[in-house]
Amino acid sequence: MIIDLSDEALEFGVTVRKALESAGGDQLVQLAESEPETRERLVAPVLGELGAWSLDPRAGSDELEAAAALCRSVGYWSVAYPVAERLCRPTNLDVDGLVVVGDVAPAAAIAGTNLRWAAVDMGGRRSTVASLGPSAPPRQSAFVVRLGLEPLDDDGADDLPLALVLPCWTLLGVLDRATDLTRDYVLEREQFGQPLAAFQGVQFQLTDAEVERAGVEELAKYALWTIESGQPGSLDSALSLRLAALEAADAVFRITHQLHGAIGFCDETVLSWVSRYSLPLRRLPFGLSGTLDQLSRHLGRRGLDGLFTGAYPE
Amino acid sequence: MDFDMGEGVSALRGELRALIKEHIPADFLGAFTNDPADLEVAQGFCRVLSERGLLCMAWPSEWGGRGASPWEQTAVREEMWAHHEPRGAQYMGVNWVGPTLMRHGTAAQKEQHLPSIARGETIWCQGFSEPNAGSDLASLQTAARRDGDGWLVTGQKIWTSYAAMAQWCFLLARTSKGERKQQGLTIFLVPMTAPGIEVRPISSMIGPHHLNEVFFDNVWVTEADVLGTVDEGWQVVQEVLAFERVGIARYARCERLLLWAPSALGDRWDQLPDELRARWARMLVHARRARLLAYRVVDMQIRGRVRPGDAAAYRIAVTRLDQESADVLSEMVGLSDLTDETATRFKRAVEDHWRYSRASTVASGSIEMQRILLSRSLLASR
Repeated sequence: MIIDLSDEALEFGVTVRKALESAGGDQLVQLAESEPETRERLVAPVLGELGAWSLDPRAGSDELEAAAALCRSVGYWSVAYPVAERLCRPTNLDVDGLVVVGDVAPAAAIAGTNLRWAAVDMGGRRSTVASLGPSAPPRQSAFVVRLGLEPLDDDGADDLPLALVLPCWTLLGVLDRATDLTRDYVLEREQFGQPLAAFQGVQFQLTDAEVERAGVEELAKYALWTIESGQPGSLDSALSLRLAALEAADAVFRITHQLHGAIGFCDETVLSWVSRYSLPLRRLPFGLSGTLDQLSRHLGRRGLDGLFTGAYPE
Repeated sequence: MDFDMGEGVSALRGELRALIKEHIPADFLGAFTNDPADLEVAQGFCRVLSERGLLCMAWPSEWGGRGASPWEQTAVREEMWAHHEPRGAQYMGVNWVGPTLMRHGTAAQKEQHLPSIARGETIWCQGFSEPNAGSDLASLQTAARRDGDGWLVTGQKIWTSYAAMAQWCFLLARTSKGERKQQGLTIFLVPMTAPGIEVRPISSMIGPHHLNEVFFDNVWVTEADVLGTVDEGWQVVQEVLAFERVGIARYARCERLLLWAPSALGDRWDQLPDELRARWARMLVHARRARLLAYRVVDMQIRGRVRPGDAAAYRIAVTRLDQESADVLSEMVGLSDLTDETATRFKRAVEDHWRYSRASTVASGSIEMQRILLSRSLLASR
C-alpha cells in the first residue's frame, strides 16, 4: 500500500505553490478580475516555465500525480485560470483543453482564453467548442461562459474520469486555503479577551470542516489511483470524489464564513475571493444534487467497488 | 500510489471468510445475546482461529503470534467487524490487553495471562468508566488502599461491557492523591471471581451484556496483580485508549450491509424512492471515505508519524457513517415487505446495526472528545 503521491509529485506541487506565490499569490485572482484580459498572462507563463503544459497526465502515473499536485497548488491560490481543464486535453484531438458539460446550457469558466477547447458530456459525446457566449464581467460570472458546441464523436467515455478528477484536486487546494485562512484568523482574532480559537464552539466547527477536507484528500488520491492503475471503476471513483468534494466545499465555506464573521465577506479578506471563485468548480458541470443523481444512476444496484465486491449477487 | 493491499492480504481475507462460512451460523449477530449458544459459537471460533495462528497474528512469535503486518491486522479488523465480531469479547484481549501486558507486565503476569488470551480462553472486561467519570476519566473515585502485602479495592464501575462473562478485569483505581488528577492512578488485574465483586447487568437498547455496573466492596488484590508502577497507571491508560481509537473497523460492517441491500431486497429494490437509493449511493461514498481515513492512520502509524488528531478525524467520520448508514438501511427495510429467509436475515442485521450504532458516537471516547483532540492538533503551531 502506497497511499500518497510520489515524493517527486509532492515536491513539484510545492514548487508550483511557491512560484504562484511569487507571481502574486492571493493577488492573482484579484488582478484577473480587475483586468480580465491579463488573466492568461498572469498565470500561463509561470506554469509554462515549470513545464506544466508539457505534462501529459495520460502518459503514466508520474505525470498524472504531478498534474494532481499542480492542480492542488493552483487551487490553493484560487488562480482563476482553467489549469486542470488544460491538462485534461485528449491526446487524440487537436485541442488545448477539455471540459465536462451537463446536458442543459453547457458552460465552463473559460471566458477570455485564446485556446481551442473540446467538451465531453456524461454520455461520452465529445464536441468542439465552436463559440463562447457573451461574458459578463468576472465579478458576476467568475469567467463562466456559455459554450456553443459542434458535435464531434462518441469516443469520450475514457476522457471522463480524468476530466472529473483533476478539477476536484483544484477544489481540494481551494479547501486547503480556506481552512488555513480560518485557522489563522481564529488564532489571531480576539473577543471577550481571548482568541476565538479558545472557544469550544469555534473549535468544533473547525474540526467538522477539517474532517470533510481530509476525507476529500483521501478520496482524491484513491480516484487518481483508479485512473493510473486502469481500474474498471474509475468513473465511479471520480463521481464519488466529486460528490464528497462538493459536500465538503459546502461545509467548509459555510463554516469558514461563519468563523470569519462579517469581515469574511469584505474584499479586503482573502476568504471573500476564495469563496466566490470556488463556485464554478462547485456548480459546473453539475452541482451536488446533479452529481448525486449521476452517481446513483451510474451505480444502479451494483454499488461501489470495495471490500465486498462480488460478495452478493446483483 | 497503490491502494492494493497485496496478494498476501487477499489470501488472508479469503481464509477468514471461509472459516466464518464454515464455523459461524448465517444468522449470527454477535456473541452478546440472550442465547448462550452465541457465546459458545464465538468461543469455539476463537479456538479455531488460535489453532491456525490467526487469533493473535499481530503478536510476536514468542507469545504465539506471527508478527502480522499492519495491513494484515487491518484486514482482520475489517473481516471480523463486518461479520459481527465472531471473536466475541476476545478482540479486547487480543487487541489491547495482551499488547499492554507485553509492554508493562512482569514475567509472571505475562506467563499467567498471555497464553490463555492467545488460546482464546479468557474474557477480559475494562474497568475504567464510573458514574462520575466518563470522558473525564481521571476524575474516577474507585479507590485501592494498601492492606498488608496487598490492596483493598472499593468503588463502582459502569458501562462495563462483558463484565458478567469476564474472568478478569483490567481495573483502573486511585491509589493516591497527586498534584494532578492524572497522578496517583494504578492498574490492577483483578479476577472477577474475587469475593466482594458484584456485577449488575443494565438493560439497554444496544442489547444484553454490553452495559453493566460492577461494584467492588473491599476486594482483595495482591501486589502481584498490579500492572506497571503504582500511581503511574495513567500513561498505560493512554496507550489502551490509543489502541481503541483505531480498534474497530466500523466502516466494514456498514459497507457489507450497504452492498447486501440490493440483493436482499430483490425486486423490492426497484420500488424504493429514487431519493432513498441516492442516499444509499452517498453512504457508499462515505463508507469508502471512512475506510481511506482509517488507512491513512495505519499508514502514519507504520511511519511513526501518527498524531491523536489523525485518528480523531477518522473516528468522527466513521461514527457518523455508522449512524447515517443505519438510518438509510433502516428506512429501506421499513419500506419493504421482507419475509423470505435471506431478506429476514438482512432485516435482523439492519435492526441490530441500527440499535448498536446509536452508541457509536459515545462509546470508546465520545465524538466531542475526538473533536477536542482534532482541534488541538489543528490549532497547534506548525
